[in-house]
Amino acid sequence: MNFSVISAITRKDVVDAIRHRYLLTALVTPLLVALLFRVMLPGGDGRTVLTVVVHAAGSSALVAGLRNTPRIGVIEAASADAMASEVARTKAIGGLVVPANFDADLAAGKQPQLTVYINNEKTVFEQAAFRRILDQMVRSVAKQPEPANLIWVDVGQAKQEEIRGGTGLDQMLLPLLLLLAFGMTGAFVVPLLIVEEKEKRTIDFLLSSPASLNEIIAGKALTGAVYTVLIGGLLVGINRQHIQNWPLMLLTMLVGLVFVVGVGLVLGSLLNNTMQVNTWASLVLIVLLVPSFPSIGLPGWFDKAIRVVPTYYLTEALKLSMAGTMSRQLWVYLAVLLACTFVVYVAAGWALRRRN
Amino acid sequence: MKAIEVENLSRSFNSVRAVDNISFTVDAGEIFGFLGHNGAGKTTTIRMLSGQLLPTAGGGRVAGCDIIAEQQRLKPLIGVVSEHQNLYERMSGRENLQFAASLYGQNTQRIDTVLEQVDLLDRAKDKVQNYSNGMKQRLLIARAILHRPQIIFLDEPTRGLDPVVGRDIRRLIVDMSQQGVTIFLTTHYMEEADQLCDRVAFLSEGRIVALDTPANLKTAHGKPQVDVTLDNGERVSIDLDGEAAGAQLAQLVNNGQVRTLHSAEATLEEVFIQLAGRRLSE
Repeated sequence: MNFSVISAITRKDVVDAIRHRYLLTALVTPLLVALLFRVMLPGGDGRTVLTVVVHAAGSSALVAGLRNTPRIGVIEAASADAMASEVARTKAIGGLVVPANFDADLAAGKQPQLTVYINNEKTVFEQAAFRRILDQMVRSVAKQPEPANLIWVDVGQAKQEEIRGGTGLDQMLLPLLLLLAFGMTGAFVVPLLIVEEKEKRTIDFLLSSPASLNEIIAGKALTGAVYTVLIGGLLVGINRQHIQNWPLMLLTMLVGLVFVVGVGLVLGSLLNNTMQVNTWASLVLIVLLVPSFPSIGLPGWFDKAIRVVPTYYLTEALKLSMAGTMSRQLWVYLAVLLACTFVVYVAAGWALRRRN
Repeated sequence: MKAIEVENLSRSFNSVRAVDNISFTVDAGEIFGFLGHNGAGKTTTIRMLSGQLLPTAGGGRVAGCDIIAEQQRLKPLIGVVSEHQNLYERMSGRENLQFAASLYGQNTQRIDTVLEQVDLLDRAKDKVQNYSNGMKQRLLIARAILHRPQIIFLDEPTRGLDPVVGRDIRRLIVDMSQQGVTIFLTTHYMEEADQLCDRVAFLSEGRIVALDTPANLKTAHGKPQVDVTLDNGERVSIDLDGEAAGAQLAQLVNNGQVRTLHSAEATLEEVFIQLAGRRLSE
């Protein structure tokens, strides 16, 4: 293998891909989806979840408590009259008008008036969360005991944490975005890079040049890897606050990258034109992505069925790596993924020999 | 010295024998024409000789390299102009040549010289997708000669081009030949082969049915006769093999009766039809 030839092909493809409409779309899509999630989902930026507008006639422990609550942002309104417009303007979940002597009256059992504004443009989940927080906060300020001592026990949580590294939105979103970036590489970028050379017959030029077929394929694989590292790196960088163990995360991403590039090589070798790539790649992309979708509400058999898809193991390994859970389960997932990678490269070798 | 030596070369695709046991040699510096109808095996032969495809039987040497065992050593010594305009269309002309140079491990200093040689220097920054067919063809030739190959394979280099561009391409071929490059040319155009080639091989159904200089082929397969048009408009054909031919021709000339006189030499096209049993364009 001549690395200067591989590098020449990669450099050409890296630059040329930006000018290729389909390739550019495939590369930018994961970033656009990431941005979309940040806009659509509360707390997508990992900082503020709910914004509350407050007007307090005096100092109150209630306002101080809100300020100290994680993921609550407090904005001051100039007057009680301006509250409604301020809630709408700031797109806050709601607002509070706290009268003077609120804390003292509350402690004296006088039931002071607390006016609460609710922004109905927000989701019912956000509204419910705001009501719950407010209720807890008022009880706390009044030093009232809870009506009952509620003990919440999450059944299977420990096991779930060990297996899946947490099931919160943050834990699911980044693996989904990474899977999307990896899937685009495997299903679109690498196959298109190979297929276009065949379709435009430029592969004849490459094969008559000092480049061997193996070097051409290596150049394409390297291009796919470069773009995946770039896009994956951006996604991970944006969501860096969720990553507890960087070496584990990078190792898992590397294994995933090698796997999807192999998938791309198989597709690129088997398919002959862009139309075929568009047809088959969409199907392959869906299959690759399915394990990263939250399976909440889906039947149990579905959860079992998706275990035949190699990216199930990548998704789960990504979640554990993010959570920093260096469990036996993680190594099992990575081992399965490596075995799948081996199979994919054997298939790619067969497909290439068949073409030759 | 032989630039190309081919011995019993064959290539099959499943049950189809695309090239069937062909043998020939090409001298260094020669322009060698490889003529045949569509599907005759011309492109398959070029692909085997340029290291893109392995033969199923036989073998050969190109620029001193074995086409089976020494493909990687062979490739820097040859240039190929494909029958398809296989350029990177989103890249500029100069970027195409820069990429080719990087594959061949060449520096980029020669790019301007080559672009000037094919008259594309002023359009070097334009994207290839905005080039005309003729410009693309010239860029293909520029790419093939960039690394100073000893042998160039030209697969239908003037197909589909207008006569003026075709003439420019033929001029480039002659220039390359004068610089000592061996040219292996496939073409549909018999006049082109007749005009350019030192020798031509006729390929039909994967087999070589004739190989010689155009002049020898035309002489060998033409009629030994002259066609005379007389002053009174009458046309007379004189068989030169006949015993009285000389006297008959001399009499007509001496009597001042001859208006025009043509040899009835066959064209290459006619020779091909005689030998292959079909027209080149079929």
